[in-house]
Amino acid sequence: MAIMSANYLTKTFQGHTVVDDLSFKLEPGKCVALLGPNGAGKTTTLRMLAGFIKPSQGNIQFNEEQFAKDIRHYVGYLPQYPVFHNWMTGEEFLIYVGKLAYLSKNEAKTKAHELLDLVRLSDDKQKRIGKYSGGMKQRLGIAQALMHDPQLIILDEPVSSLDPIGRREVLNLIRELKKDATILFSTHILNDAEEVSDDILLLNHGKLLKQGAIQEIHSQQETKTIYLAFQDEPKFIEERLKEFNSVFNIKRENTGFAITVHDVNEARAQLLEVIQSEGWNLTKFEVLSASLEDIFIKAVTE
Amino acid sequence: MQWQTIYKKEMLDHWRHFKWIWVPIVFILFAVMDPLTAYFMPIILESAGNVPEGATIDIPTPSVGEAMIMSFNQLNMLGVLIAVVISMGLISRELSTGVYELILSKPVRYSHYMTAKFTAMMTLLSVSIILALITGWYYVTVLFGDLAFTQLLTSAIFYIFYFMLILSIVMVFNSFLTSPGLVAFLSIFTVVVLNAFTSIFDHVITWSPMLISDYIGTYIFSGEIETDLYFSTGIAIIISLLLLWLSIILLKRQEMH
Amino acid sequence: MDDLIIQLILPLVILQLILIIVALIDLRRVEATRGPKWVWILIIIFGNLAGPIIYFIVGRKG
Ligand SMILES: Nc1ncnc2c1ncn2[C@@H]1O[C@H](COP(=O)(O)OP(=O)(O)O)[C@@H](O)[C@H]1O
Ligand SMILES: [Mg+2]
Repeated sequence: MAIMSANYLTKTFQGHTVVDDLSFKLEPGKCVALLGPNGAGKTTTLRMLAGFIKPSQGNIQFNEEQFAKDIRHYVGYLPQYPVFHNWMTGEEFLIYVGKLAYLSKNEAKTKAHELLDLVRLSDDKQKRIGKYSGGMKQRLGIAQALMHDPQLIILDEPVSSLDPIGRREVLNLIRELKKDATILFSTHILNDAEEVSDDILLLNHGKLLKQGAIQEIHSQQETKTIYLAFQDEPKFIEERLKEFNSVFNIKRENTGFAITVHDVNEARAQLLEVIQSEGWNLTKFEVLSASLEDIFIKAVTE
Repeated sequence: MQWQTIYKKEMLDHWRHFKWIWVPIVFILFAVMDPLTAYFMPIILESAGNVPEGATIDIPTPSVGEAMIMSFNQLNMLGVLIAVVISMGLISRELSTGVYELILSKPVRYSHYMTAKFTAMMTLLSVSIILALITGWYYVTVLFGDLAFTQLLTSAIFYIFYFMLILSIVMVFNSFLTSPGLVAFLSIFTVVVLNAFTSIFDHVITWSPMLISDYIGTYIFSGEIETDLYFSTGIAIIISLLLLWLSIILLKRQEMH
Repeated sequence: MDDLIIQLILPLVILQLILIIVALIDLRRVEATRGPKWVWILIIIFGNLAGPIIYFIVGRKG
């Protein structure tokens, strides 16, 4: 059973359709990356899912309830550029936000301390948020999203604005959280998606181009890459290999050749045969699946 | 519960930013400034000594009532100005910085958010106005003669509803604009226009809330509350509530960029 | 006359001083101001009643 389903979501701002007829479901316990270039409509989509803005068309259901209450009860949301009341301390802010979500004072306090531990801000909890670093603010932002034990955690570009260390910290935190939560996070950086997510949703110009498990998307790809390396470079190798109809593209790289092929079995046979008959001294033969980056660029430019 | 949470947080905000200290002090200084100057002016001029021999200085000393009204008039100008600028960013600043998105992603009711902020600011303003007018009254009675304290207190309470109207105008602009400066400008512009309109048609619209301070003046002189004072104050309350309701609706439709 | 001045003016001077001190404390605490801090110190101290008020309204940044 899906914990959340988005049905035909559309958002129009002053005549511009920014999110166009999105439908997808989120399964419990999954970590899903919403992937797309800048301006694709990720933030707008997440704001609708977080109950912060209303869809122009379509609807959002939680737990397959037809007439759900305010969806903000179900969702913990970290905006793309989280801004806090800088005059409050981290601890005060978490307790405040918890009480806004109908926790009692004691519940809010207990939960705040638990989360401050989780995001490793316990030592700085009495400091004013204005004095926090970017990474600390991002971790506090994740903590505030978790205050009311939401069924779904939505994070808008949680690592994009961070330096490498902050980025590592937050990715580790997401990996920690996904053990017992459903997470939807957006990013325009593919590595992040590959690193922590199970499924991806690929968005461009407001439209959903691809969705599914990462492995599935990999295996669906019809083109694959075969990587060849030789002791010394054979003469006329590029001309020779281009003759095969299974070979789609040849790219010379530092230590060898990346050959994009349509039918990997046919290509493997043909390549091995020519290498054998020409007597080229092969040092490496590797079948690579297309990287998520290839898929991304292909889908976005198509 | 949620309403109290926001209200308390706003009060803490006003406290941490020293508004609870500086706003009352400033209001008090405004309220005593003019009566004091009026009292000491002849003395100052005399001691300045540039009065030609034989000439008498003839500045009439104001009556108690006139002096007390000077306090109200200062608050009417400078007090309103301060009230507008300290509330110009109540929501608009949260919209422009983005705090709003974080807070409103929790199941916060828009009406709670709006009215708790409004009430916290109203608390600060009411306390400041009362303290200022009581201090003004003390100075006036010491310098100019007797004025019943209950009369002053009654006037102050009516006067608070005038500020309630001002604040609700500021809240409307807060609910859809993201620039505090623009909120302040449009609010003051609105007050000026309403004042001008009222003074042109003051025989027709005797119930205009902009006349509250005039009616308070009459009350201070006569000691009798005219029905017009009740009427214009009632209108001020009704319009304030309508404006608050409007600002809640506008806020709900707010879609940040 | 002198008694009256002390009785009436002194409290106001004290209030004005409190205003200046509170503004200076806030200036010390705050992370960023619009324009350099030393200018604000001058405005607060020498700006009469308006100095501290202007600081509280537009001085702080963020
Ligand atoms: N409140 C709004 N009003 C008008 N246009 C908007 C608004 N919010 C977003 N947009 C537009 O929608 C498009 C998608 O924006 P966004 O959802 O922020 O994309 P992403 O997060 O993928 O970068 C952009 O062209 C943006 O200018
Ligand atoms: Mg975005």
